[in-house]
Amino acid sequence: MPFVTWLKRHLVVIAGLLTLSYLLLPNVIVTVFSFNRPKGRFNYEWQQFSLDAWRQPCGVADMCGSLSISLQIAVWATVGATLLGTMIAFALVRYRFRARGAVNSLIFLPMAMPEVVMAASLLTLFLNMGAQLGFWTILIAHIMFCLSFVVTAVKARVMSMDPRLEEAARDLYAGPAQTFLRVTLPIAAPGIAAGALLSFALSFDDFIITNFNAGSTVTFPMFVWGSAQRGTPVQINVIGTAMFLVAVLFVLASMLIGNRRNRQKA
Amino acid sequence: MTTTDNSGDVRLSGIGKTYGSFTAVHPLDLTVPQGSFFALLGASGCGKTTTLRMIAGLEEPTQGTVHLGDQDVTHLPPYKRPVNTVFQSYALFPHLDIFENVAFGLRRRGIKSVKKQVEEMLELVQLGEQARKKPHQLSGGQQQRVAVARALINHPKVLLLDEPLGALDLKLRRQMQLELKRIQTEVGITFVHVTHDQEEAMTMADTVAVMNAGRVEQLGSPADLYENPGTTFVANFLGTSNLIEAEVDSTSGDDLVLKAGGGKLVLPRARCSAPATAGGKVLVGVRPEKISLTHADDAGEIPEGRNRLTGKIADASFIGVSTQYVVESPVCDELAVYVQNVERDGRLVPGADVVLHWSPAHTFGLDAAQDIDAGVETLEEEAA
Repeated sequence: MPFVTWLKRHLVVIAGLLTLSYLLLPNVIVTVFSFNRPKGRFNYEWQQFSLDAWRQPCGVADMCGSLSISLQIAVWATVGATLLGTMIAFALVRYRFRARGAVNSLIFLPMAMPEVVMAASLLTLFLNMGAQLGFWTILIAHIMFCLSFVVTAVKARVMSMDPRLEEAARDLYAGPAQTFLRVTLPIAAPGIAAGALLSFALSFDDFIITNFNAGSTVTFPMFVWGSAQRGTPVQINVIGTAMFLVAVLFVLASMLIGNRRNRQKA
Repeated sequence: MTTTDNSGDVRLSGIGKTYGSFTAVHPLDLTVPQGSFFALLGASGCGKTTTLRMIAGLEEPTQGTVHLGDQDVTHLPPYKRPVNTVFQSYALFPHLDIFENVAFGLRRRGIKSVKKQVEEMLELVQLGEQARKKPHQLSGGQQQRVAVARALINHPKVLLLDEPLGALDLKLRRQMQLELKRIQTEVGITFVHVTHDQEEAMTMADTVAVMNAGRVEQLGSPADLYENPGTTFVANFLGTSNLIEAEVDSTSGDDLVLKAGGGKLVLPRARCSAPATAGGKVLVGVRPEKISLTHADDAGEIPEGRNRLTGKIADASFIGVSTQYVVESPVCDELAVYVQNVERDGRLVPGADVVLHWSPAHTFGLDAAQDIDAGVETLEEEAA
């Protein structure tokens, strides 16, 4: 029974590889089809290898414009949500104030509420205020739903922080500002970074809330949705693949840096 | 660093701290002279750490003042006090390496060239090789030394140590006690050390203040506290004491004669901290190692003039250098006796009738109006 023994020994690896392929298969399909030259308007059947789409990523009308709007919104939403969320997280952990408990639970509401409901209520709010729908309404909406994720990530980090570290800093001649910059912030940084990354991803691919509050502005997810009705340009796959590659590069870079640090320490 | 001025004196005047209705520290006066190694000893929750934190500036006193030398620092924030702390659990900055941890205080004070000083300091605590490691890569003992280096490099007037050895195992703790003592002698800075370990306090400090329930019970040199405890708490918390309830019978010269059970005990008047009038009650104390144990059959060989009690051995445990006996006696159900294992008497086994005897000079007297078991339970809790 050498096969059974072999299977037993490698079961975990096999299960891992299967899971990984399940997760990565869609990305592989997207990548493969970015090199397709489709017949007709829909890019659903493999025809022939081509680099056309990669040579002209902006060859489709309005697509790169929508991509740029999406990126701008994602960046500003990340900045806004991270700043506000970090401050809220510190306030919730460090200070005792009235309605702290209420704030603590209400901050989770956007995470729990169905997006459609939130989108519709936001639209009602904006219309009643007479706001012009567009870039700014999208940005406000995105900051709002990203906030809860940042608060959750940063709060966990701040709560697990030893308060003696800040006392030690004050004891070692660091004033309040220095203590915050040199000790508190660097230690909370991983939580803040996690919140920021989540915000960026959530904002970039949000469709429902954006669709309700966009007015005539078109973000990248809305563009993809819209074009899917009429035909799917290969360039969408190119953008998708490029984003995937950027993400993979980020992960590899952080792993490399981590490894090098570990080797230095050892 | 050794100076003859008094700039390293710590003077606490009427300093107290209350949290709502709970009094953590009752107003107390304390002077720690420049260059001394001072220990605040007490069980957890006795206010010793709060007192330390008030010196550091991490806690604002409800009343009273803190002086360093001639400077009133009561209302100065911690980062403006020439005092540094070694925290319990060390509180090393996890995101900085050892070098930067040690350099932290210098950099905050705007000192540019820190390299030489930091390297020298790391040499002093024998961690030169570890400079570029992160705190979590070091062992407990090494982290502890980094914490000491990080504080000492600033040449504080006073170094505060908040149970710095609590997280270490016994062997390492002994080693670090000697190490800290060595460093203190070398740099000559005033050390204020908070601990619940009476042995640690006695080994390291010149002066020990025993704290209980927010008050200083007694202050003195380790030997003085051990030999002449002033309260039952000190008697029980510092080592072990046998305390026997007795009545003052008469006085003869410089001695008090006491009645306990059926027998008489002699106590030098100078060693009795209680007001002793004939008929009054006192607690008679004697340390277990001061007592000799003789089998009842040899009672006649005991020299005259020694205090005697009769009893029966309830338990004996052999622990190498000595044997610890528990003796039941009519005046007290559990008397502890430690006998050095020089010549062991084979008859001293549980059940044997014995006579306990000791020199009157080793007897101390305490006020009977206090809890006879104060300080006992806390010790057992710490041991658990």
